[in-house]
Amino acid sequence: MTRGQKRLWLASIAIAMVFAVAPSANAMHIMEGYLPLGFCVAWGVISLPFLVKGFFSIQKKLQENRKNITILAMSGAFIFVISSLKIPSVTGSCSHMTGTGLGAILFGPSAVGILGMGVLIFQAVLLAHGGLTTLGSNIFSMAIAGPFLSYGIYKLCKNIKINRRICVFLAAAAGDLLTYCVTSFQLAIAYPSPEGVLSSVVKFLGVFAPTQLPLAVVEGFLTVVIMITLENYAQPELRNVGYLD
Amino acid sequence: MKKRRLLGHQHTHFYKAAGIDYYACQSRIRHWNGCYKVCAAVWILILCLILDHPWVSAFVILTVGAINLIGNGVSFWEYLSLIKVPIAFLVMGCGAIAFGISPDPKGDWYIRLPWFFLYFTVEAFIQAAELFLKAMGAISVLYLMALSTPASEIVMVMRKMHMPKLLTELMYMMYRFIFILTEVHSNLKTAAISRLGDADFRTSCVTFGKIGANLLILSLKKANTYYDAMVSRGYDGEFFFWEEEKPVRIWQILSLGLYTVVLICLERNL
Repeated sequence: MTRGQKRLWLASIAIAMVFAVAPSANAMHIMEGYLPLGFCVAWGVISLPFLVKGFFSIQKKLQENRKNITILAMSGAFIFVISSLKIPSVTGSCSHMTGTGLGAILFGPSAVGILGMGVLIFQAVLLAHGGLTTLGSNIFSMAIAGPFLSYGIYKLCKNIKINRRICVFLAAAAGDLLTYCVTSFQLAIAYPSPEGVLSSVVKFLGVFAPTQLPLAVVEGFLTVVIMITLENYAQPELRNVGYLD
Repeated sequence: MKKRRLLGHQHTHFYKAAGIDYYACQSRIRHWNGCYKVCAAVWILILCLILDHPWVSAFVILTVGAINLIGNGVSFWEYLSLIKVPIAFLVMGCGAIAFGISPDPKGDWYIRLPWFFLYFTVEAFIQAAELFLKAMGAISVLYLMALSTPASEIVMVMRKMHMPKLLTELMYMMYRFIFILTEVHSNLKTAAISRLGDADFRTSCVTFGKIGANLLILSLKKANTYYDAMVSRGYDGEFFFWEEEKPVRIWQILSLGLYTVVLICLERNL
């Protein structure tokens, strides 16, 4: 084997190793210790206004009816469980939904911010996915950016009278994709390459693309299946959470 | 239930969650003060990030790993299974730092790809390796907290730190509901699989969606029942929990101080 062939062989092993572990990666949680402390604090501060708004929206819901507390807690637990389920796959890989698009469509983006924070804390302390110092950055990408885009797309498509199932698919898939893009951006500005932040963003997008792009499509499709079943069998519950008028 | 079943063979993440909570409840350092454990873990975590030195990270990985194996009673293979997912993220994340892309050939080593060059420099590799060690140290500390302190105790610590009451109450309830929904999901899945609900990919997707939807319907129905149950037991907007008194020992504080000194000495290469 020539030196060039040997290098190519080693590179192929390295790529195969990356792809071998990639399918077992969960949604885009930035792991504990990965971000420098300054970035951890900065993302926490950026997320704070959204969380305060979410806190007041939940407080208002509880003032209207105290009974909403169990519904909110159950919704949070539902988002945790749905994001922990292994989704079906042809290759047998282990992937998970983010569940935030579904949550935003059902409960609204402000409430999902707070519920998402609870879910991320439990994911950190019960699963060690994500982390405590990276909580702010994960909240911003998963519980703020993704849900707000999902909700915006859902409302926009609904207003221009696009088929409701297509609305749900686009909202959930786009929310998942934005989460992936925001996380890549967060990683890139923390560790810019010598060519600049943009090159670093492209690198991180490229590294996570093989798992996240198909996952976004699958998440969109599964969210549609869930919504069809809910619309068929759970209209009173959907009215309760404000999804149906 | 056997430990192996809790983590090793159940591939769904909330079984892992139940497993970590199980370990936290049977940990040998379970009787230590919850506040102390959380504060010590956060302190070591911050030290690991601020000192940012490979020797410090390696020392934290080894010592905290040993506490997780011996103190928290987790077997070596279970521990490896737990840290598999963080390692997958770190391999990808650190790989992206070690390699660069450029339109021109550069770096210590490069390969030509259709539109660009993928290059590698020794400095970037060292930076990625140090980051990997630092993050692994931090993850080990996170596991130390998760495997020794039940989530309910962590929420109690948040309450003592004056986190808004509404949030801690919501988290107490979420914590309990997670395990209720886990059981409901397990029953739904067993029923679906026994009726060939996972026969092929298309059927699996439809089954997944239906289970998800039914889980939401059942959870919302249960939510109303639980509220009635709480009100009938005197709930008026605030939870009160019985809390075991666990005093902090002087030797525990001294040990943490000594550990801090050792980490600082390692960082200064003393």
